Amino acid sequence: MASLSYDEAAHLLRRAGFGGTPEEIDDLSSRGREGAVDFLINVGSIDNSAMDALLAASFDFSNPGDNSKFNNGEIRRWWFTRQVATKRHFEEKMTLFWHNHFATSSSKVQDIFMYNQNLLLRQFSLDRFDNLLLKVAQDAAMLIWLDNITNVLGMPNENFGRELQELFTMGINDVVTGDQNYTEQDVKEVARAFTGWDYVRRSPFAFQLKTAQHDNGTKTIYGQQANFSGEDVITLISARPATARFLTWKLFNFFVYPVSTSAADKATIEKFSKVYLNNNHSIKELVRAIFTSDEFFSDRAFFSLVKQPAEFVVGAVRMLGGTYNPGSTITSPARTSNTLSTSSRNMGQDLFAPPDVSGWDFNLGWVNTASMLERFNYANAYATNRTTTAPGVFVTTDQLRSLTKGSSKKTVKKFLARLGPLSAPDAIATLRTYLETGDNGQPVTFVNDDATIDKKIRGLVHQIMCLPEFQLN
Amino acid sequence: MAINRRQFIKRSAGAVSVSLVMPRFWMSNVARGQEAAADPNRRIFVMIQLAGGNDGLNTVVPFQDSRYLSLRPTLGFKDTDLKDETGASTILGSNPFGLNPAMGELKSLYDSNRVAIVLGVGYQNPNLSHFFSMDIWQTANTSGAGNGWLGRYADQKLVGQSGLSAVSIGSALPKTFYADKVVIPNITPANGTDPFVNYAYQTDARNAGDKNNQINAFKSTNTRSFPTDSFIAAIAKAGFDAEEGAAQLRAAVGNYTPGATYPTNNQPSATAVQFASALKMVAQIITTIPDANLFYVQLGGFDHHSQEIGTNTDNFTDKTKGQHAVLLKAFSLGVKTFYDDLTAHGLADNVVMMTWSEFGRRPNENASHGTDHGTASPLFIVGNPVHGGLYGQQPPLSDLDSAGNIKFKVDFRQTYATVLDKWLSADSQSILGAKYDDLGFL
Repeated sequence: MASLSYDEAAHLLRRAGFGGTPEEIDDLSSRGREGAVDFLINVGSIDNSAMDALLAASFDFSNPGDNSKFNNGEIRRWWFTRQVATKRHFEEKMTLFWHNHFATSSSKVQDIFMYNQNLLLRQFSLDRFDNLLLKVAQDAAMLIWLDNITNVLGMPNENFGRELQELFTMGINDVVTGDQNYTEQDVKEVARAFTGWDYVRRSPFAFQLKTAQHDNGTKTIYGQQANFSGEDVITLISARPATARFLTWKLFNFFVYPVSTSAADKATIEKFSKVYLNNNHSIKELVRAIFTSDEFFSDRAFFSLVKQPAEFVVGAVRMLGGTYNPGSTITSPARTSNTLSTSSRNMGQDLFAPPDVSGWDFNLGWVNTASMLERFNYANAYATNRTTTAPGVFVTTDQLRSLTKGSSKKTVKKFLARLGPLSAPDAIATLRTYLETGDNGQPVTFVNDDATIDKKIRGLVHQIMCLPEFQLN
Repeated sequence: MAINRRQFIKRSAGAVSVSLVMPRFWMSNVARGQEAAADPNRRIFVMIQLAGGNDGLNTVVPFQDSRYLSLRPTLGFKDTDLKDETGASTILGSNPFGLNPAMGELKSLYDSNRVAIVLGVGYQNPNLSHFFSMDIWQTANTSGAGNGWLGRYADQKLVGQSGLSAVSIGSALPKTFYADKVVIPNITPANGTDPFVNYAYQTDARNAGDKNNQINAFKSTNTRSFPTDSFIAAIAKAGFDAEEGAAQLRAAVGNYTPGATYPTNNQPSATAVQFASALKMVAQIITTIPDANLFYVQLGGFDHHSQEIGTNTDNFTDKTKGQHAVLLKAFSLGVKTFYDDLTAHGLADNVVMMTWSEFGRRPNENASHGTDHGTASPLFIVGNPVHGGLYGQQPPLSDLDSAGNIKFKVDFRQTYATVLDKWLSADSQSILGAKYDDLGFL
């Protein structure tokens, strides 16, 4: 069994989750590579009762018709609360992956359907891909989002049929061979196969096939002629090597490193796509293979991705031992904090509202002057929030004191280690100078008293979160 | 536990990168306390993206073509429908076209020769994917690869200019502005009275005396040298430019006084207020930043596969209402208000606006009161420097391709070439990679 160093375990936790404390990283490290991955992906065997208790005390979703307790803001606050508080790191991260993959937005879809879809993604995220895809395709959110509820016999609506192929399964061109995966005629024919797919307009909004609106004619799809149903098409597409490659490619880009079009990278994608094909389309086995791979732990993979905004806002809390108090709608009066969802949205990632059906644009897609200012200003707000009695995100003076050392050098290194761990050797001198400079620009001696901690250590956290290195994952 | 293994990845093809090593020149002489002085030589270009695929046939309506109404039995406009909300005709003079009734304001600009409409704009072998087709339009390259066409212009013409010479207003930097040598800022409007309020580098409010120390530390750590063409270099560059530009911008835009009444209070729609507010931000920058040159604003939501017209109350039949009408009204009203504001500031002769959309929509409507992805569509060029009128050629509805879509008549790069050569004093051939014929609207 391969060993797992501290740095490797931290990398694994940043990618499969949102980063964690030294205790969590040490625990993963002690399990070895395969053991740590097995632990992370078997989410159901991790005790999550503390999070469940927090959710129960903070949210009341018992009546989705009660707009004061169940709404657009509340489902976002709910998901971010999960991301900060869960012990099942990978459950939330994989749900985020699928949310981006099957990108559906509350701009068109009602909150209850967005919420139900999120539960669905969480439940089936590591199932057979065929099954996940079928569940998503038959769920109200997707049926509404891509207009399949108006896709009817005689006048098909191509929206779902197109994106199913372009974005959810194969891509326009095979990511390995470059071959065209389907034609415009396939789009039309696939759309016909999904005619009549609809949902019942009352809770629990179950799938229904409106047989009178379903096209039972012969369709020609990928050169095969039959009276294909929507289910048939999903089975057909899920078994195509192009789908295995496309999913592998997306997982690599999300979890490992940006995949190039080099022959070597194509060979890597091809290799892992076989895991999917040889394991009955099991997503779980595919991600296990990826997370235990040498590629995942290669030099190339470390800090090769730009942090997603959700990773930025959640990770800062989890890694530093900060606090997110989500507040509650159960208390009277209700007091809540939407600071995580609002900040993430302002940085470009509004969960439950990706910009379009292709999801978010990753890496440098997160980087522009406005989004960078949002990152810097969230860092400042988090680091300098001293109101620890109200809902919000903060780090206590006690927590900062426990991390502050007797010298500026050791203190800077300690905080870099906690917030990554980050390697930024050529920034250490600047950060030390910051700690050792007074209000008038004069040199001062660093002391770890409470006044310095409340001012300079909070400033140090802000500055470390402004480092270019901290923007990477 | 320091990391001793780290490698930054060379950018993948098509990603934005910044290889400029030196910090850019930052303006030191922004006018404070007054707006920028009028300068007849200023040339400002505003790109307006109609995202989602605008239904060109219901925007510039070929009402005399009998095939149009037979393909659009519920969605189509008859000649008698072509009247704006005041009852004024939106038919374009003696031409067989009328503007969507929601576009009364744009019609008034057209009547005073401030609007050029280029018909049938698209490209060979149209791609019906939103994303692929957007890439094609944004890069001016039918492979969809590379930097943005205006990014390439910026790399040629805006190096050494202030960091606010090109600005995008929106949620993210558009690919059109992806460049190699300059960081083009993107400003996300804030809700409330000051849309620029979030565009500032904040420090600990309780320790104002530490602010300079914070900013010094920030500038120092973000101007270290990083591997060229790496994510981290682009991040540091964008971060540094954000902090520097924010201070400059906020000092300047406070000097602006609107010269027109922009829509507020969700009237006529929240979308109209949002779009007009973005243009108002452009006006704020234009009037206060002397070398402001390129802008980009977006109006999204045109992907009307269903319920393109009408509302629940009319069972989706009222063509003067509904999603498409709301968007076109937002566009028309926003552009007219912005134009009036520029006129009041004496800047209307200095600004050209142009729209684009990744494709039009299928002539034959679907069963959902909507339209599926199509191909060519008309685009608009607006401003005093524009030679108003119709350009290009309407693709005949009698000659559709195998998917039932119209065939383009004007390569979209001709519109870019016309703007680059005739308005931005650039060399379109070096930017677009080939010579495209001038369309004559400038």
